[in-house]
Amino acid sequence: MTKELICITCPNSCRISAELGENGTVSVSGNLCPRGEIFASNELTCPKRSLTTTVRTVFGDMPVLPVRTAGEIPKEMIMDAMAVLSGLVIRERVKCGDVVVRSILDTGCDVIATLDL
Amino acid sequence: MSVAKKQRKLRKIFGGAMELRPEKGRMHLVGEAKSWDDAVQAGLICAKKGSDIHVVSDVTVKGLEIPPMRVPELRDNALEGLRPDVMIIGAGVTGCAIARELSRLKLNVLLTDKEYDVATHASSRNDGMVHPGIDILPGLLKKKLNTRGNRMYTRLCRELNVPFDRCGQYLCFRQKSVLPLLYLTKPYWLLSGAGSTEVLTKKALKKRETDVSDEAACALYFKSAGSVCPYGLTVALAENAVENGVRLSLDTAVLNMAVEKGEIRSVNTNRGTVYPGLVINAAGVFAEDVAKMAQDRFFSIHPRRGTNAILDKKARRHIVSIYSLMGTQSKSAHTKGGGVVGTVDGNVLVGPDAVETPEKENFATDAESILKTFEKQRHAAPWLTQGDIITYFTGIRAATYEEDFIVEKGRAVRNIIHAAGIQSPGLTAAPAVGEMVAGMVRDYFPKAEKNPSFDPNRKPIVRMAELSFEERAKYIEQNPDYGEIVCRCEEISRGEIIDALRRPVPCSTVDGVKRRCRPGMGRCQGGFCSPLVVKIISETLGIPESEVRKGSEGSRLLMGEKGAHK
Amino acid sequence: MKNYDVTVIGGGPGGLAAAISADNAGASTLLIEREARLGGVLKQCIHDGFGVIRFGEKLSGCEYATRLIRELETTGAELMLSTFVSKAEKQRDGYLLTLTSRGGMERVFTKALVLATGCRERTAKQVAIHGTRPAGVFTAGTAQAFLNVRGQMPGKRCVILGSGDIGLIMARRLTLEGARVLGVYEAKPDPSGLMRNISQCLWDFDIPLHLSKTVTTVHGDERVEAVTVAEVDEKMRPIAGTEEYIPCDTLILSVGLIPENELAESLGVPLDKKTKGPFCDQSYMTLVDGVFSCGNTLHVSDLADYVSESGDAAGRRAASYARRERSLLPVNISRDFSYVVPQYLDPEADLSETVFFFRTAAERKKTKLRILLDGVEIKQKQYNGLRPPEMERIPFDLSGAGLTKDSKLELLMEEVRS
Repeated sequence: MTKELICITCPNSCRISAELGENGTVSVSGNLCPRGEIFASNELTCPKRSLTTTVRTVFGDMPVLPVRTAGEIPKEMIMDAMAVLSGLVIRERVKCGDVVVRSILDTGCDVIATLDL
Repeated sequence: MSVAKKQRKLRKIFGGAMELRPEKGRMHLVGEAKSWDDAVQAGLICAKKGSDIHVVSDVTVKGLEIPPMRVPELRDNALEGLRPDVMIIGAGVTGCAIARELSRLKLNVLLTDKEYDVATHASSRNDGMVHPGIDILPGLLKKKLNTRGNRMYTRLCRELNVPFDRCGQYLCFRQKSVLPLLYLTKPYWLLSGAGSTEVLTKKALKKRETDVSDEAACALYFKSAGSVCPYGLTVALAENAVENGVRLSLDTAVLNMAVEKGEIRSVNTNRGTVYPGLVINAAGVFAEDVAKMAQDRFFSIHPRRGTNAILDKKARRHIVSIYSLMGTQSKSAHTKGGGVVGTVDGNVLVGPDAVETPEKENFATDAESILKTFEKQRHAAPWLTQGDIITYFTGIRAATYEEDFIVEKGRAVRNIIHAAGIQSPGLTAAPAVGEMVAGMVRDYFPKAEKNPSFDPNRKPIVRMAELSFEERAKYIEQNPDYGEIVCRCEEISRGEIIDALRRPVPCSTVDGVKRRCRPGMGRCQGGFCSPLVVKIISETLGIPESEVRKGSEGSRLLMGEKGAHK
Repeated sequence: MKNYDVTVIGGGPGGLAAAISADNAGASTLLIEREARLGGVLKQCIHDGFGVIRFGEKLSGCEYATRLIRELETTGAELMLSTFVSKAEKQRDGYLLTLTSRGGMERVFTKALVLATGCRERTAKQVAIHGTRPAGVFTAGTAQAFLNVRGQMPGKRCVILGSGDIGLIMARRLTLEGARVLGVYEAKPDPSGLMRNISQCLWDFDIPLHLSKTVTTVHGDERVEAVTVAEVDEKMRPIAGTEEYIPCDTLILSVGLIPENELAESLGVPLDKKTKGPFCDQSYMTLVDGVFSCGNTLHVSDLADYVSESGDAAGRRAASYARRERSLLPVNISRDFSYVVPQYLDPEADLSETVFFFRTAAERKKTKLRILLDGVEIKQKQYNGLRPPEMERIPFDLSGAGLTKDSKLELLMEEVRS
């Protein structure tokens, strides 16, 4: 079965046709660069996304701190990750890039601050 | 037209659907109309312009349910057992002008309004024109009050520190041939109270209003016309009244009254029962409802909607004062004509139109009103483009069928004064209505002394952007909040917003702040500053951001902290 | 009174880049930002997708801003935060700025000015939405500020009008935070945002996208209770009889951005009706000598990376600005273009790093873009497709092309038949 995808790796937004072969191989066309191939093959086997959101802080000047996953996590875990992060309150000043959650949901992927608090 | 003739006319047009019953002191219209427009038309047929025998209409419309007056959900006892000398119902420009006049006397005055702020209905929903009174028939009460009110404006606005521009108004004509006739009308205008005029040739007009339409062949200039910020004036009147001892109670709706032997004994509100000596009905579109509660209903109000568009300040360069072109009036019989107004705040207002409506509080706008208004006004101002619109609003005029103001003591009830049917030019007339009502109040309280501490002057919120470099620097030195710009479009500082929250008339809402010092009035319409304004309101008043409202009690802007819903 | 070679107004992705490059080029530089923190709108752009071009990495908007801020900190550029430019006046050899801040009033003089004031959002009334005026109508950027900066939910059952990128990003953001996004409505027949945002913001969360439909009316006296949506015809007029009443508590608008050029206009800078930004030459100098413009002030860009790129150039050129007469050469475009920036070339100035940004007027399949000088093709580029929402960029060394003030430069599009 061929799947029509839009590559989200970069703003080029390549329209990719991807097909999952019987032996698990993925054939891809329409991508302008190799990153599209990786995206498409992930999309057919285990779609992944990065998550960007905010977590609450105790500081009045910045009641929420923007954070993101340092890499991508499985797409189906996004809402669970949101649940973890909405329970979190940052009580210390952190810097952009500091880890606020280590390996969220054991994905091996850290959650990092994306702004100086 | 005799009553019999009117009855025949009604039968001829509407069959037997509606019937006119002359009763003692009123013309009672009953029946069921096919449409609201029919009901209004029937009322107008039965009315005699300016008559003090009013049409009272109980006509219903098939399938039309008129929504009841909106009442705040708040219930408390804040006013329970109060015995003010005078209770004013309605804090629009009329009610506030009356309150301020009464504060000159040593009287205990309670001013109430069902809304969260003063000036939320017609008083903030008009074009701010101070009329010369050109198109009002002599002999009408509103003519007299308009003339008197107009003359009072210069001093009133000086005392209250409200920007007022006596910019004059151009009535333009298409035919060059009327030019000599215009000279002949000059004594009439002087005599009728509209004041002094100037006749202008096309060339002279173009010199003063460069961008006026070429359709204008000549013009009559009325020097007495002016422009004021209508809600700014109303807030100022209320503040000055409060500073001089009037008690203002907002979110206070009159629910019913106890009337015995032609006298109001008590007034029941959602905030307790009040026992006033005298009631003043300044309830705008609800004046009939208040009169009914007081068992003194001798007139009817038929609401008439008008929509105005506000243009970006960039459009202000096209216009110096106010103008309109004769002969481009809309087909609707009751429009004031509308026009293009350069406002004191530096914007341009276009409108209004006039459409009959059964709904007294439906302020929704529609595309058609804007389209028609622009179509019409473009004859006078070809530079108008809808692309300059930053926002638009609808107001509802409280018209009686006789189309005149009613300022008089109760007919069946001793202790009420009605200031009703006050539609355009109600803003112009307001100071005179205040004076007239205060005169009547003196009849009830002949022994009332002057209020020795009355101060007619009011300190305004200082607008930093209008000050000189040095003056501004001085303010900032005293209070750094004046140096922190919150609203970039109108250049409003944090200090001015905090000032607005701490005025004699309480204000705690985003719209209330906006009406007092203009953050969010500019071209971005609060896109940038509303999160900041919400934060300042929250910090200054000590309420969570999520409880800050746009306006009325159900209008919270936000829905709680993120994550809190889980 | 302080005196600078270059003053940059606005500390977003354009202004930061301009201040850095002006300082690097040796100019005494001042950066003025009206908010308490640098970053401009990037502060509220917590989502990623920034910096792929500039930094070769997928960053969030906040991180992208942080990188630029760190870089600025290594320069000698002076910084004024929470400072508002109340007035800008042209003087003989430069510009006099009147500044307002908590510290008081101040005047500074600058030889060159870089305007990096960004853009504002079009509002409900500016797209002729009627009905009542209750709480709960937000522009997408305002909703984003409430949610991402203040941590406050703007609504729980939302309808989004406009498929611009901010609208799409907000659809995902609200959904992640537990709100229900009932649908994204777009009056045009095609989506306005980048395809990857349609994919990752809408498709990922099963949020429906309704094309050729718009919101006509808002209902509710105090808080939004519903909106009416209707199909539109090819002239964007609602079609009677297609109305649909959608109960909701919030309407979010992503219906376009307008470059903020009030300060530019006060200096008499002529604006291009198409871009709503100043006309400029390849150095990003406007038609008023010494006044430069960059980023979204100049024309609304899809990518912060492009905004910073024009900031780099504007800052650098402003640093070397010296007054002289310019004779500008117009860049002619065919009707197939929506616009091109720069609209003029200055043959006397450096042409080696000329960059043309353009948008197509209509969606196109395979297209060849040709640049003609005096009727002779000097460059061409082929595109697999062009969409109005997507800005295209052509860097082009024009220094050897022999441009004079009497040359004729044209940009054309041609269909490519396969």
